[in-house]
Amino acid sequence: MRIRLLAALTVTALLATACGDDDAGDADTLTMWTFKQAHVEPLEAAAAEFTAQTGISVEITAYTPDDTFKSKLQTSAQSNDLADVFEVHAAGEDFVLGGSGILADFASSVDDEWHDQFVAGVADAGKVDDARYQRSLKPEAPDAGIRTGQLFSVPYTIGTFGVIYANRSTLEAAGLDPANPPKTWGEFISWLEATHAKDPRNGGLTVGLKSPTTGLNWLLEPLAYAYLGKDDYQALFADDKAKAFGSPNGQKVLELYDQLTPYWMPGTQTLSIDDADRAFAQGRAAFDLGGTFTLSAIRQGGMDPSDVVYFGVPPAEGGRSAELGLAPLALTGLAISAQTSKTDAAVKWLKFLTSPEQAAKFAQASLDLPGTRLDAATLGPDLGAMTEIFGDAADGAYDPADVSFFSPAYVDTTAGETLIRMSPLNQADPAKTNAELGSIVATSWQG
Amino acid sequence: MISRRRLREALTGYAFVLPAAALFGLMGAYTVGYGLLLSFARWNGFARDWLWVGLDNYLDLLYRDPAQAPIVRDAALNTALVMIGVPVLSVVVGLPTALALNRIRRLRATLRTVFFLPYVTTGVAVFFAWSYVLAPAGSLNTILGALGLDSLQQPQGFLGNPSTALPTLIAVMAWSSIPVAILLYLAALQAIDPQLIDAATVDGASDRRVTTAVIWPLLRPTTAAIVLLGLRDALQGFQIFLLMTNGGPAGATNVLGLQAYKWAFFSDLRPTLGLASALGWLLFVVALLLAAVNLRVLRSRT
Repeated sequence: MRIRLLAALTVTALLATACGDDDAGDADTLTMWTFKQAHVEPLEAAAAEFTAQTGISVEITAYTPDDTFKSKLQTSAQSNDLADVFEVHAAGEDFVLGGSGILADFASSVDDEWHDQFVAGVADAGKVDDARYQRSLKPEAPDAGIRTGQLFSVPYTIGTFGVIYANRSTLEAAGLDPANPPKTWGEFISWLEATHAKDPRNGGLTVGLKSPTTGLNWLLEPLAYAYLGKDDYQALFADDKAKAFGSPNGQKVLELYDQLTPYWMPGTQTLSIDDADRAFAQGRAAFDLGGTFTLSAIRQGGMDPSDVVYFGVPPAEGGRSAELGLAPLALTGLAISAQTSKTDAAVKWLKFLTSPEQAAKFAQASLDLPGTRLDAATLGPDLGAMTEIFGDAADGAYDPADVSFFSPAYVDTTAGETLIRMSPLNQADPAKTNAELGSIVATSWQG
Repeated sequence: MISRRRLREALTGYAFVLPAAALFGLMGAYTVGYGLLLSFARWNGFARDWLWVGLDNYLDLLYRDPAQAPIVRDAALNTALVMIGVPVLSVVVGLPTALALNRIRRLRATLRTVFFLPYVTTGVAVFFAWSYVLAPAGSLNTILGALGLDSLQQPQGFLGNPSTALPTLIAVMAWSSIPVAILLYLAALQAIDPQLIDAATVDGASDRRVTTAVIWPLLRPTTAAIVLLGLRDALQGFQIFLLMTNGGPAGATNVLGLQAYKWAFFSDLRPTLGLASALGWLLFVVALLLAAVNLRVLRSRT
């Protein structure tokens, strides 16, 4: 009799566990997942303050690297076991997840007051505009299911690509003036020549070319944009052979890029992005190509940010633009699960995180630029100066978030590998690379 | 009475097998079936619906898609080189080492342990350690420089030069598979009847003749097993390529297993999971054919 009772209790307990709803279990606790380990500590500090103010606690978990985070989302979505709030890649991943029904559309929760807190130009990064909706209807589009007007994320961190960092001591040792960074591409090449001549092993340029798109996205594209102007730059990727890669325009920008070939740090093609930042921080390269987000990685590598000089990719002489502004884009966004029943608490937490006070604390702790508008003094000396690189896309600044002109089937990894074969590998000249890139672009428009 | 006991024994046996069978039914068969279905669909892992495309994924991979087919072709060539290089190195290095170890008496156990170390230490940390050894300023270039072999140094590192990256990775893979080859050969050598060796020696056969005419034929099944293991590693294992080069520089070390992984998890959420699955199934068919050939070789020789 006792055994039967025990068995019955066990079965009841198992059934209760199996049928239990975690989501509804603890109304005063939110769960949040991020793919950035470095953000866990600042988020936990913010969560402690949020709990003190509201009584709602937040449990933060990081799933890294990216593929782990994506698989976690994928499997949890199928088992109805998602967190309530996420930090996701902005202006891309958020739409894919939104179109798939994993993220909630919370456009109605973002009033004007909240919207106006964000940096101009990125405030609507998580909102579906008509162009994106039309693009999502094409067969290769990953974000099928989205609709115009939906909002799946608000910006949490922002930045831009095409920022070149230089080691102040190395520049001085090579007789260069760190206070007057290069204004043109030619000057930049001459600086590279000087540091490389001084120290061929440690005087070069690095970037994590193990991720093949870095050189393409972070350097060639802004360089081409400044040289050709917006229309001809976008035409490089268009379905028009007269102006796309393979044309004289493509040849010219590749010749400019190829000027880097003698000056890469040895073995940079084997380095990940983090490895390259670390190599720069350790003095194994004079220059490091990255984005605004690279500064925090350099600091994590042990280098004092005050020992670093940085400037945007300088425009080439004879091109359309004598100056190149870099428009900010949302790098990560805050999003809410479509499965949560705690939407109100989640919105409250997102508003708290993106408030100017919390954004300032986050910026100082992480050296990442927040999506919330803050003045340079609040951001501190390192990040505050960084915002001077930014330009407005409406005034002609290069906008890396604008991908509307690419074919949905265009794969930049293949293009990036082709570029690496030219520089640094020197296996192909600009003419051959131009022809191959032309073929990649043309193929992307077929079918 | 006997039949009842047999029945009970049989039921007990099935009861022991049942959990494993049920687990396979749930996890294995479900996964295999799911993967097979996925290979006929276009999906990014998140979208609500799969787009059924029939055999398109297979045809695109094999020849039809001008963007994907060349990637598969290049990766297949690299995979084939690995499939030749790793088993050949395992046999060419493993057999003489096992023969030498089998003959010596002193320090045999110690040396056996030393030779087996690469196998037990192989893992993520070791691959990163190799990356440092092979870097431009790594210890291999330093040693070559110290020995006056400057012409053999690689200024871009052994993994940074497209000409040396794949051979280097094959060597690292062989480094971790040779210990198993040595162990299998040693076990096989110790199972050979000493009278056979003695008889050949009495008949005037030299050591070399004994090795080539007596020992080598008797080791053929072991060699077949080692080759099969090497082929399996080359077909399925992509960890080393992912960690050490990510298929680079510029695709020079991309292999089919790694490409399937990239399409599954690193395609910017494009709907390429079906392609990854189709490529996995193509690899499975190749592995099946190789296993069948190997089985036939084993049957015919033993």
